[in-house]
Amino acid sequence: MTADEPGAAPRPAALGDRLAGAVLLLLAVVAWWHAQTFVSGFRQPVGPDLFPRLVCVPLGVLALYLICRPGLNQRWPGGAALLRQAGLLVVLGGYAAFLEPWGFLPATLVCSVLLIRLFDAAWRQALVSGAALTAILYLLFEYALGIPLPAIPGLGF
Amino acid sequence: MDILGFLLHGFAVATEPQNLLLALIGCAVGTLIGALPGLGPVNGVALLIPLAFNFGLSPTAALILLVSVYYGTMYGGRISSIVLNIPGDEPAMMTTLDGYPMALAGRGGEALGLSAVASFVGATVATIGLTLFAPLLVGFAIRFGPAEYFALFVLAFATIGGVTSGSFTKSFVAACLGLLLGTVGLDPASGVSRYTFGLYELYDGIDFIAALVGLFAISECLLFLEDRRQATGASRELGSAIPGMRSAGRCAPTIARGSLIGFIAGVLPGAGASLGSFLSYTLEKRWLGRKGDFGNGDPRGVAAPEAGNNAAAGGALIPMLSLGIPGSGTTAILLALLLSMNITPGPLLFEQQPDMVWGLVAALFIGNIMLLVLNVPLVGLFARVLRAPTWLLMPVVILVAFVGVYSLNNSAFDLYVMLAFGVLGYALRKLEIPSVPVVLGLLLGGEMEFNLRRAMSISGGDWSILVSSAISVGIYAFAVALMVAGLLYAWWLNRDSGR
Repeated sequence: MTADEPGAAPRPAALGDRLAGAVLLLLAVVAWWHAQTFVSGFRQPVGPDLFPRLVCVPLGVLALYLICRPGLNQRWPGGAALLRQAGLLVVLGGYAAFLEPWGFLPATLVCSVLLIRLFDAAWRQALVSGAALTAILYLLFEYALGIPLPAIPGLGF
Repeated sequence: MDILGFLLHGFAVATEPQNLLLALIGCAVGTLIGALPGLGPVNGVALLIPLAFNFGLSPTAALILLVSVYYGTMYGGRISSIVLNIPGDEPAMMTTLDGYPMALAGRGGEALGLSAVASFVGATVATIGLTLFAPLLVGFAIRFGPAEYFALFVLAFATIGGVTSGSFTKSFVAACLGLLLGTVGLDPASGVSRYTFGLYELYDGIDFIAALVGLFAISECLLFLEDRRQATGASRELGSAIPGMRSAGRCAPTIARGSLIGFIAGVLPGAGASLGSFLSYTLEKRWLGRKGDFGNGDPRGVAAPEAGNNAAAGGALIPMLSLGIPGSGTTAILLALLLSMNITPGPLLFEQQPDMVWGLVAALFIGNIMLLVLNVPLVGLFARVLRAPTWLLMPVVILVAFVGVYSLNNSAFDLYVMLAFGVLGYALRKLEIPSVPVVLGLLLGGEMEFNLRRAMSISGGDWSILVSSAISVGIYAFAVALMVAGLLYAWWLNRDSGR
């Protein structure tokens, strides 16, 4: 365990906890308020709104506590790391969006090549292993597991 | 039938060729996943659940596969701890303390062999404990009504995380968040839609599996992008693992103590394997005092935590199977698998599905022997996997997660749910809010609400029914006792680290 490994030594960072507390407090209040719309047609001793409200109370109180007495956070990432993480989310969000319209093979090929690049491989490595990975996944799911994936739409697959 | 009869029947189920093969695959894959740094039992099992569904396995077979993976990860975690000084998963953290110094001294093979034997003994003790104690607990729990079940859920939430994370506030915040997320969807009792905001995809609630894979696997990848740790030094000469068997003989008392402590830690709700290995190591260190050379490659420092974490892993199955209340992250995921297959664990499971329960127990005994064989002579093969480059490994994990989750419902919506939970999981980790209580809330919220409402309709709206029986009062008292114990434990930890 080296000293510079993130996560090894949490540093006090009140801001993160305060922010999280504020978001959760807001969530608790909104969820409580929204629960008034849960009206069932017939009378029950306990309606559909009680349990969510029962949960909102401690959530709100604890969130308030978190704002007042924030605890420890791990080190938050800096600029370059954030950019890479945002990149990952964009690639994966794009994959989810294009999987059905493009079909499995093209979408997975593009996504896997970009992912491998994102994890610091050279273009050559990325293209070769991305193509291999796509083919293996396709064969695995299509034939070994028998799950029909939308391969390439419009080509009769 | 007595326990022995049930167990014999279980062996008949577990030795069916398909189940034997699944156990073997599970053990090998589990060891592999455990060995890879960053992929622990929780992510490993979460990742494989969609695959288990897609295989079209029966619930018994799927459970055997995933529990073998679970046991396997507990064995595998030690490999990168010893070879690379990077814990393969969280419970293997303590193993680095003496395992890596042993590897530096050229005794890596011995450490791997010794820890495999310690893991075997720990897991076997826990499986025997499971065989003996789970039926006892079932016999007790069969008398539970809705009020008692509600108390049991309160117990689970009161104790979860408090012990593992050290921050009560954050564990409870996490549990409340999970419970709230668990109410999303159509209310089963009245058909009213709650927090769905017109999205019909949410009417069935948040898909457990998409949420779990996001919370653990995707957030892990986000974390990886940040710190870019590179595995180095994997080519060090390890030597044979066989001498480890002999040093295991010398460490027998340590292994025995570690197994016992780990087992107890595992059975307690809210604890789990990390606590098991931590307690085993720390108590062993205190027990031996100056006689030990802990931190500098004492073999007992490898044997104790490995016996402890494997015993805890087995112990954690007891509350999951007999009460339907998981005590750890990985058992929570196993519960998600069962719930998704429309099987509710609990006392009735033992009566209605003895094949499944006892087949599983027998498969654990068999899997343990398989794991010992895989992990002593063949450990070099697994150690070699550590040289796989990160740039290939993480994309493979992500794509398997994506395709697996997509194929569950053929729905791109599940993929967005997974991504959202990935971001949530990452934020929670940074905030040091444990994510296991979120999972528990999401999984158990429905059942908890159901029992509360049933109790209330029995009493006609009188809240005192919740504390009207001796059993439920006893459970609340136990919850308070465990919370106090958790506070004392946190205080003890702080005092230790403060010195």
